[in-house]
Amino acid sequence: MRVADLSLPLLLAALVAVPFVFGNFTAYQVGLFLLYGIVAQGIALCWGRVGILPLGQALFFGLGAYLGGGALIRFEHSPILLYPALLGAVLVPAAVAGAIGLLVFRRNVGSGPYFSLITLALSMLAYQIALGADWLTGGYMGLNGIPPLPGTDPWSTLYWVILGALVLSTGVLLWITRSPLGQLLHAVSQNEDRLSFLGFDIARLKALAFAVSAALAGMAGALYAAQQGIVTPQVLAYVLSGELLIWTAVGGRASLIGPVAGAVLIGMLTSNLRDTFQYWEILLALLFLAIVLFAPTGLAGLVAPLLKRLPKRAHAVRDVERPLPDRGDPPTLSFEEVRVTIGSVRILQGLSLELKKRGLHCLIGPNGAGKTSAFNALMGRLPVSGGRITWGGRDITGLPAHKVARLGIGRKLQVPAIFHDMTVGAHLDIALWSGGISGWELLGQGAFRYRNEILGVLKEMFPFLNDEDKRAGDLSLGHRQVLEFALAVIARPEVVLLDEPCAGLSTQETADLIAAMRKIAGRFDISALIIEHDFSVVEELSDHIFVLHQGQTLSEGTLEAIRADHKVQAVYTGGTK
Amino acid sequence: MDASLFFLLNMGYGVLTLALVALGLAVIFGLLGVMNMAHGEFIAMGAYSAYAAQSAGLPLFVSLPAAAVVTGAVGWLIEATVVRHLYERPFDTLLATWGISILLREGIKLLFGVDYKSVVEPVSGSTGVLGIDYPTYRIAVMAALLVCFFLLFLWYRKSHASARVRAMIANPELAAIVGINTERLASLAFAIGAASAGIAGAMLAPLVQIEPYMGINYLLQSFFVLVVGGLGSFQGLFIGSGVIGGVASTASAALGGSGGYVTLLLVSILFLWLKPEGLYAGR
Amino acid sequence: MRPRLSVAGLTAGYGDLAVLRDLSFDVAEGEILCITGRNGVGKTTLMRAVSGALPLLAGHITLNGQDVTALATNKRQKLGLSYGPQENVSFAPLTVRENLTLHLDGHDLSRYERLFRAFPRIEERLEQKAGSLSGGERKILSFCRVMAEGGSLVALDEPTEGVAPENIALMVDAIRAIAAEGTALAIVEQNLTLVEAVADKVIVIDHGEIVFRCMAMPNLRQEIEAQLRV
Repeated sequence: MRVADLSLPLLLAALVAVPFVFGNFTAYQVGLFLLYGIVAQGIALCWGRVGILPLGQALFFGLGAYLGGGALIRFEHSPILLYPALLGAVLVPAAVAGAIGLLVFRRNVGSGPYFSLITLALSMLAYQIALGADWLTGGYMGLNGIPPLPGTDPWSTLYWVILGALVLSTGVLLWITRSPLGQLLHAVSQNEDRLSFLGFDIARLKALAFAVSAALAGMAGALYAAQQGIVTPQVLAYVLSGELLIWTAVGGRASLIGPVAGAVLIGMLTSNLRDTFQYWEILLALLFLAIVLFAPTGLAGLVAPLLKRLPKRAHAVRDVERPLPDRGDPPTLSFEEVRVTIGSVRILQGLSLELKKRGLHCLIGPNGAGKTSAFNALMGRLPVSGGRITWGGRDITGLPAHKVARLGIGRKLQVPAIFHDMTVGAHLDIALWSGGISGWELLGQGAFRYRNEILGVLKEMFPFLNDEDKRAGDLSLGHRQVLEFALAVIARPEVVLLDEPCAGLSTQETADLIAAMRKIAGRFDISALIIEHDFSVVEELSDHIFVLHQGQTLSEGTLEAIRADHKVQAVYTGGTK
Repeated sequence: MDASLFFLLNMGYGVLTLALVALGLAVIFGLLGVMNMAHGEFIAMGAYSAYAAQSAGLPLFVSLPAAAVVTGAVGWLIEATVVRHLYERPFDTLLATWGISILLREGIKLLFGVDYKSVVEPVSGSTGVLGIDYPTYRIAVMAALLVCFFLLFLWYRKSHASARVRAMIANPELAAIVGINTERLASLAFAIGAASAGIAGAMLAPLVQIEPYMGINYLLQSFFVLVVGGLGSFQGLFIGSGVIGGVASTASAALGGSGGYVTLLLVSILFLWLKPEGLYAGR
Repeated sequence: MRPRLSVAGLTAGYGDLAVLRDLSFDVAEGEILCITGRNGVGKTTLMRAVSGALPLLAGHITLNGQDVTALATNKRQKLGLSYGPQENVSFAPLTVRENLTLHLDGHDLSRYERLFRAFPRIEERLEQKAGSLSGGERKILSFCRVMAEGGSLVALDEPTEGVAPENIALMVDAIRAIAAEGTALAIVEQNLTLVEAVADKVIVIDHGEIVFRCMAMPNLRQEIEAQLRV
């Protein structure tokens, strides 16, 4: 979300001018849609940035409206209670959203419309409750006679408060976007698996974004109550959620102020034209369709390239050297009679192996022997039905991927998993943050880059990593494999799991990567467990080999020992490319 | 005794009609993977077709094929112009179809107005069933549905159709490589899903309130049926209808209309959260 | 005799970028052509052009005497082209059985008898979802599907990638067997062991062009390696 620094102050100035140029009544209308715009900004954060689509955002808007309205009525004459209660109207929706988010996202590995439809169903549930619970919400008639916010007049001065709220919400979102947290949120939408293998808790990140969006919606809802003086169940309705979505989409889901523009322009047009122009709703639906099909970034997306032509200030980038984590005795990684069964198929049938010493270990075996499944079981991606996996004596069976990663176990997937739309530099940053980044730094604004020794060595061996502004999706397959390898080792894990790291690479690229693996593992004391088929790679790399067959360890030892083992010869004969 | 028989018949009716309503979405979402937010509007179009047939003086059973043709054609058109370009972008299909649902609703409002319409039952009165009187039309619908579903199930087992559609979604390039005409298959599947929703609307028209916003509830019900039962299989459709239908009937009887609705939503949300792949994973 | 596959002046690429320029070759009935070369030279692009996934910028493709240059992929299959791609080789949410039968008219698996004997793992996993198979097993699944499809021209893109060496030997047997029955094969491979074992003729591609052609000969491997090194 890059907006030239010039446009935001200009837009603010224009909004400030509205009451003076168009009068208080127009300002009142604009104010209402600015509030909707704030809700839309929250939707854009979830949808455009993180990749989750809330279909029932009116739930939080309505919650904020009822709580705010209720607070204004009850504490009209005691400001000591009023302001905390109003704060509650912002925080309660956030807490509810956070809880829902954690519950839903912890369950759902991978996306789908489920989150979206849960939010829709919940908003419908809230609507039904609001209609029915007369004693709580005033039922169908709603909350009436809500007094204005002390010191403001809904028809004039409240506009400034609303404008202030808009500045606040835009500021908060801008802050988040420009911080490392913003990068992480973006990475969530790009490749969840990769991010969780780096140790980041995806569910928490998504829930956080959802909670922020709910807080903004709640704030807007409370101001809505103050402005309108009445809150009815319509604030929770399916129709409002739907309209919010249209405004967000048309305005621009990947933009900061696009959604506000969408709400103000489209929303105001709709309310003015709805009764006079019969075909307006149909036209709007067609416009929405057109945007979804042809211009997914909305109006803001169409305007943004124009803004890019304006000159921007250059940012000085600070390099921050990060020390490498200490190395002691390596914890032992141990599989003890691990069983994994899917349906009726026994994938791992009592797999036992132990990684004690430092070094490069290879995992070989016929197709279907269970090699990748062993990695998946370790990272919590496959359910273990028997036996256990321990790390340094501690039972880690069934731990989710990000927690396993945090223990110091890195992973590189067979098909390179990277963040396609993000730059090489962003990848390296995120990988370095995985080694430990404080809350403060996460929200920090200054442009800084972590560096460490491992990164230095990698850049030396693979010069393309210096081209930090290159979009990762544009890299060749070979470079993507190297990049993912870099991500897996940069934070100096204790053990790194490499799944066919040389797959699809040419002979030269394979040689380069093997050299890199040996150098880095050796110099920085990182153990590696490598799945490989190509014996020339196995020869080069390993100090120790495990042979898997039918979900169990068949044999282990040096290459010569393996080759001489009759059991191995019986099931598995070597061959080179 | 009579009361429980009545309750059971109501439940049977509820489950069967739910399965009918959800069938179209089972094809379009369950097989094709398109979250069709306009599903409810296809049902509404079917109901309005029945109304239009009645206004033109035609008998109800003419409206069944008419509804199928109209909604099938609209569905085909939607797939060809909009959905086809969005198979790679699931959220955008959700949004696009939802935009289409608005379009269809507004179209209905323009053509028929917003007031409630009704369609007369082709066979009125009640028939004696096991000692109690139950509305004849409902019995006719239940019988017809039982027969149709049975035939449909047999066909589904025998043919490669469902596998081909699921293959096409999972790997469109490979589907073409093995000889599947993916464009035609997708069009056909979508049109059939739409047509079955239209038929559902026409069949149920005499039994429900017909108004432009009727579709939204059908959409949610259908979605929850699929969530509970599981996507991509016939068995899932019936299991889901059974559970949701059962819960809805029981809750309505015990708590009254809106209490029933709340219970339904809660159960569905619970399933979405705890067992999103449904009770019978066919995919 | 009319060649099964005939490629003339094929130029193809992405956007304006021509990855392949002016390629021409034939494959006759019962003949096995191996296409090799370093990474990124355009071998998979060639296969995708032959299968129809990629339109040509220039040139013609003829299948059994019929010009298929503008024909859609699924229609080429109907004309006798059986193709096993390099990536995304199976339908992950479908069972192995469905993967092997969905494109056929019935549910009969008898055509796979020979292949099941060579690769019993696949038969064992019939009711399992293809996505739960390992990468190598999926490659073998794809191989089985293609080899039993009954096409007159079989096109394979890196069939041995990710496949354990003992299974590669079995693939060699299967390839030889259907060639003996008259099927023409065009195989893209970096694994020179396989090339050595099956090729009747070889094409080496570099920088989008054919730089070397030869028939099978005793020191084939060295000749090819020499070409690749240059």
